[in-house]
Amino acid sequence: MWQYAISRILQASVVIVAVTLITFLTLHMSGDPTYLYVSERASEREIAQVRERLGFDRPLHVQYLSFLGGLVQGDTGRSLTYRTSAMDVVLERLPATIELTIMAMLIAVTFAIPLGIVAALNRGTAIDGGIMALAMFGQSIPSFWLGIMLILFVGLGLSWLPISGHVPVIEPLLKGDLERAWSNLPNALRYLIMPAFTISLFSLSRNARLVRSSMLEVLSQDFVRTARSKGLKERAVVIRHALRNAWMPVVTMLGLEFGFLLSGVVVVETVFSWPGVGRLVFNAINQRDIPLVQSAVVVFALVFVTLNLVVDVLYARLDPRVRLS
Amino acid sequence: MAIRSLVIALALGLSLAFQAFAQAPDANTLVVAQSVDASKLDPADTGSRPEANIAAHLWGTLVQTTSDGDIVPYFAETWTTNDTGTEITFRMVPGLQCHDGEPLTAIDAAYSFNRAKDPELAFTGNTPGFIFASLGFVEARADSDLDVTIVMEQRNPIALGLIGEVFIHCMDSYMAMSKDEAADNPVGSGPYRFIEWIKDDRIVLERVADYPFAVEGAFERIVWRVIPEASTRAAELMDGNVDIVANVSPDQAATIDASGRATVQAVAGTRRIYVGFNLRDEFAASHDNPIAIEAINNVLVRRAMNHAVDVETICTQLLGTDCERATGLVNPPNDPPDLEPYAFDPEGAERLLDEAGYPRGADGVRFSIRLQSPNNRYLNDANVALAVGQYLSDVGVQTDVDLLDFSSVYVPLIIGGNMAGPLFLLGSGGATWNALYDMADLSRVDAGTNYTGWDNPDWFSGWDRIAATTDEAEQRVIVNEMLQVFYDDAPWLMMYFQPDFYGVSTRIDWDARRDEKVIVTDATLR
Repeated sequence: MWQYAISRILQASVVIVAVTLITFLTLHMSGDPTYLYVSERASEREIAQVRERLGFDRPLHVQYLSFLGGLVQGDTGRSLTYRTSAMDVVLERLPATIELTIMAMLIAVTFAIPLGIVAALNRGTAIDGGIMALAMFGQSIPSFWLGIMLILFVGLGLSWLPISGHVPVIEPLLKGDLERAWSNLPNALRYLIMPAFTISLFSLSRNARLVRSSMLEVLSQDFVRTARSKGLKERAVVIRHALRNAWMPVVTMLGLEFGFLLSGVVVVETVFSWPGVGRLVFNAINQRDIPLVQSAVVVFALVFVTLNLVVDVLYARLDPRVRLS
Repeated sequence: MAIRSLVIALALGLSLAFQAFAQAPDANTLVVAQSVDASKLDPADTGSRPEANIAAHLWGTLVQTTSDGDIVPYFAETWTTNDTGTEITFRMVPGLQCHDGEPLTAIDAAYSFNRAKDPELAFTGNTPGFIFASLGFVEARADSDLDVTIVMEQRNPIALGLIGEVFIHCMDSYMAMSKDEAADNPVGSGPYRFIEWIKDDRIVLERVADYPFAVEGAFERIVWRVIPEASTRAAELMDGNVDIVANVSPDQAATIDASGRATVQAVAGTRRIYVGFNLRDEFAASHDNPIAIEAINNVLVRRAMNHAVDVETICTQLLGTDCERATGLVNPPNDPPDLEPYAFDPEGAERLLDEAGYPRGADGVRFSIRLQSPNNRYLNDANVALAVGQYLSDVGVQTDVDLLDFSSVYVPLIIGGNMAGPLFLLGSGGATWNALYDMADLSRVDAGTNYTGWDNPDWFSGWDRIAATTDEAEQRVIVNEMLQVFYDDAPWLMMYFQPDFYGVSTRIDWDARRDEKVIVTDATLR
């Protein structure tokens, strides 16, 4: 187990270095970022001074190695736009993004599993067709468009939910202010529903299809027939026998889904004015605030790698035939 | 049973969430939505326009520019200039103080200027990056508790307007803070004090009691919300949750007007949109189309191109509003009253092109040329560039339009090496308060903002003549002569002053300004 954990951590380090290198090179390939930090009336001398101050006058490999050296010590540099620790800026926005992603995950799981089961149990009927058509629609619809439609119809037209904004829950929790976190919760849920649904629709649809096909495969197996022949109720057959065995591919997918949902926040946070990391990264890329982008990339990569690790461990727990090595 | 409980809980949760939701601001609160957040709230280091808008409510300045372009006293009640014009001494209003109670004197005013220039702090914002460079700022000194002198390298006719952009703050408060602390903990001197900043979400300000320049009926609180997406900003406005929205998309104007809750104000902004002719030798040497280079160096061709483009139709069809074509690089009302904009006259353009020695070939083409433009930097810029390209093609100048990403490609091309073109679309910030501010783009042949590399000696010698006189009427005559030279020699294909669109709630009285500033100290409830 320990050997496995150490090898995965080493793999994760390689992934993080590779990801930051690609990000670094991509941001530099699109020209000298200095020009975004000078006035349009700046002279060549002033531009050179700013370039030197920002460290962009150094060779690329020196800049990158300097970043890596800092990363090892937990320092990803100072944001060029916020003029403070880039990692602090990212971590400050992270709770809002985590709230959104967890809620999206909850929506996806809560609806995908029952819908998939219902579709599988009613295979070939109108119910199955309807659910699969909705799933197809959910996978085809762009989140940007869906977000704006929700704003117009649910927020503006029906006034059921707030159009944009955010009420924090995790942030006061982290500060130990339980009372504020609890009192914020009802309002926070109102603000969360539309953006979380927008992000989750694709995952919800994909997972509903996955659950359905997985259930169909399991339902046709001998042990299910045996369970039925023993006279068990259909609910027990489905939940205790079939679903438990159909669970494996779903767990794998759900683990990766969190990372996928995390990557989906960029657009949705912009549409719903959600003050999270996604929007921060979007602005940082436009401003080519390289330390800030790199910090966010490191955080996202860490989350993704950790989740993969958790899924692997969970997989072994769910299926004793799987061994970690 | 468990499933039934889950369903009941879910239903309760949904009913809670779907209760009619109201978050409209109260009568004492004004909510302004901007597309980006401030990145820091340091008075010496404001950069973007949204950041400066908030700063303008937190800090005062020595003088102010009104929405009509007049420069009026604010923290300074009078000022005098020395004989050489290199020093302006301001007499400050007595009894001022900062929001932490510290008295605000000439010492603080001098500190505000000198702090922005401090090399150890290495600020790169608008004050050190642009204002001081344009001003020729040397130093500021306090001559007494009430007199502060700003020293410049040389006489500067636009000094007052530039000085009016520098935010005044208290020395003791800022001496006690590091640069990082100052960025997040503003201690103001203006009409509103800082209350709260939730990054990327909102900044809340509260009116200062007994502020000496307070406007009667002004709102108690201002909430600056960050709403990046234009459609979301419009929806919040129409839902009554926001009172003022900057950067409304023109195609949403009719919907907002029809909502009954808000209207759209369109103002001719001060940003000058033009198509530049790259006349630089180094560009000519590297460009692969010598015929195009030769053509744009011919004044008849440049005038022909000015006549070929129907700017009024571009404004109406692509910008959603009427506009008046520019006669040059100076914003109204400071532009020469006798100059008429180039008329849309395609036949006249064709005659001029024939006269210049570029007749149509068998395929109808006189010559080919490339027009480069940013994509999504200025209002509908890509479509404007495509329209210009089509108008030019219609008179036989086959124009290929290149649309480029602004930050990664266009800025380095323009600012970095002046290698855009031969035609390039650009917007340049301007002002309402002095023609010379707008003309300063072309203050020298080698000025960083002389993107076309235009070197007409009749224009550039005008600057020496202006510097030689302090008589404003005489200066105005010289300015008009210079602008006539610009008009005749046409280094720009003159377009328009970019219209700005603001959504304004029907519950308030507020008028948008031309200079892109969102100042709401005079906004009142209806």
